[in-house]
Formats: sequence, C-alpha cells, structure tokens
Amino acid sequence: MSEYVTLTINGAKVKAPRGSSVLDAALDYGICIPHLCHMRDLTPIGACRLCIVEVVTNGKSKVTASCTLDVQEGMVILAHTEKILKARKNIAEMLVAQAPNSRAIQDIALKCGVKQVRYPFRNDNCVLCGRCVRACTEIWQSKSLGFVGRGKERHVALPFDKRPEFCKRCNACIDLCPMTITPCPGPMKKGEEALCGLCESQLSMAQDMQDSCVDCRLGEGFDCVRKKP
Amino acid sequence: MAIALNKLDKILKGREGSSFELIEVLQDIQRDYRYLPEEVLRIVSEKLSVPLIEVFKVANFYKAFTLKPRGKHLITVCMGTACHVRGAPKFLDEVLGQLKVKPGETTEDGEFTVETVNCLGACALGPLVVLDGKYCDHMTTAKLRVLIQEVRGNAKKK
Repeated sequence: MSEYVTLTINGAKVKAPRGSSVLDAALDYGICIPHLCHMRDLTPIGACRLCIVEVVTNGKSKVTASCTLDVQEGMVILAHTEKILKARKNIAEMLVAQAPNSRAIQDIALKCGVKQVRYPFRNDNCVLCGRCVRACTEIWQSKSLGFVGRGKERHVALPFDKRPEFCKRCNACIDLCPMTITPCPGPMKKGEEALCGLCESQLSMAQDMQDSCVDCRLGEGFDCVRKKP
Repeated sequence: MAIALNKLDKILKGREGSSFELIEVLQDIQRDYRYLPEEVLRIVSEKLSVPLIEVFKVANFYKAFTLKPRGKHLITVCMGTACHVRGAPKFLDEVLGQLKVKPGETTEDGEFTVETVNCLGACALGPLVVLDGKYCDHMTTAKLRVLIQEVRGNAKKK
C-alpha cells in the first residue's frame, strides 16, 4: 500500500502518493503545469525547465522544477504566480529560439505567452529534452542513444555516429521527439525562422487567461490559419 | 587498417566485467595506441560490460581522450589569460603555420599534433608551450622554432 501525503498546489489541497513528483500530482488533479521533457514512466531530468514552480517554506519562496521535486507533507506550491509566469515565458522563448521547427514547442511557447522572440534563432532541431535518450535506455533497454559532448557541444548521438546492431529499431526516439511534427506552415529554413503566432484565438486566450491550460500533448496543437492544405 | 590487439589483451587482463575501471582502461589505451580506435572501444564495451554509448560518451567527454590518431609528438599551447596577454595567439599561429595544421589536428606525416589548452595553472611560467609533457616556459617565437626543428631533426636521425 502506498502512503499518501497532502500538499497544497495553487491553494488546492492535493493528495499524492509518497515518492511521486509535484508535477505528476498537479497533473493528476488537472492543474496544468507546462512541461516538455517530462514523461511519466521515465526518470525526470529537469531539462526543459518549463515546469518551474514556487515552493513556499516559512514565508520564503524558492523557484524549482516540479518534475524533479518529490511531494512532501504540507508542501505549499504556487504554479502560476506572476514571477513564475514571467520566468516560464522566458524559458519558452529560449526553447523556441533553440528549435523553432517544432509544432509542439511553438504551441507551448505561444501558450506560455511568448509574443516575440528576442533571442537569435539557432534552429538546432534539438532542445536536449532527453526524451529519446531516456526512452531508449529505460523503456527499451537498448542503450543505443546518448548525450555526447559537453557544454555547448552536447548533443544526442549514436555510438560512433552509426546505428548499432543492437538498436531495436522501435522508433520510440522519433515518436517521442518534440521535433517530429513541424509547424503548420512547414519546416523553416535557416534565416526564415519565426514565431508561429498568427493564431488569434490562441493569442487572446494566452493573454486573457494567463493560467489557462497549456496543452502539452506533443504536436496535437490547434489548427493553424497558416496551415498549408 | 588492422589494429594490433595484443596490447589491448594486456590492458584488459583481470579487468573483465569491472565497469568502474572504464576510465583507467581508456587511459591505458590512449597511452598505448595514442588514440582510442573504434574497434578497440567496441571490445572494451563488451569486456567491461559497459554500454557502447557510455564508452563513447566518456571518450568524448574528456579532453585527454581522442578518437582520431594523434601524432608522435604533442604540442600544447596554453591560451590562458596570462599566456594570452604575453602573446600566446602569436605562438599558436607560429606553430600552426610551421606545421600547416589547425588546432586539434595532426600533421600529414603523423609526427605532430597541436592542441590548445585554456590554462595550465602555471601562469608565472607563461607564455607556456608543452611539448610531449615537457613544460617549455617563457616561450618566444625564436625558441619555439628551434624547438620544433629539434624534434623534427631527432625524428629524422632515428
């Protein structure tokens, strides 16, 4: 029997099994905390930082990623304060600058309230969320993929950049990648990257209801007016 | 090109299955082969029961390891702040110009490899150039030229 703890998220009392993460607890209760790298069955690595929340202890608050934060009895979590929304918007902005060629990331950025990207577009086609690496290692036990290099050289690679014979060709790495679905107008070439922000309804929703749900199911975004038939 | 594997057998002796010895093993391979050949790493992965990607990751992470063959002589130019203000970029240009390589590359004859390092922590000795582990302090372009020629000369005599 698992033991339960009670914590407060955005003022709501939430019961969660001990050992689960704050993000999972919030999602179970329908409190949406945007997230990208998180997947329920994989070890959290806190790579995307979208799921940041404020943890209040003794009147002081600390900002931390909720996917790597274990629930504790009496914890007070604030997921949609002004401070958090501002920081999260900035993080989403950086993610979209890093990899604009993803509908999932474009959607998340838009819904986090990003209206313009102040950073130069890198168009690296990878945000190092590690979903592929973790799925390959943990679910499929294949260990064909990994992070290679350090600092800004860090990237996902196959050993010796060749597909190893023990790769099970399950394609989980591709299925789980947020880059698989390109933005509605099609892939963006270097130099013509843009924020896919022409969907007025979404924009006004992000503006008027700042803590509205960010649908984080990858790629299953809204229909975009710029979509090519 | 077939790679002599007898050296590898010696390195791996008694270490089968001890995954924690990965870095030591890689260091020994780097010393004996002067680089980490792909075939050898595949065997290491199997013998130490470490996933191949893990071996590849470690080999890529540390600057001491290289996956491309290194030359017989390694020239390391310190590019730290203290060396920089005393003209390290000039020495690097000198070395690169003489050997006609880029940093991290090896000359065609396989004699020299040129590398840069961010700081060796011996700033008082700067500008610093390390030749095969020997620290050559207070470097000047003239000294450097002589140094390279000496090594070249020795290599020819042999």
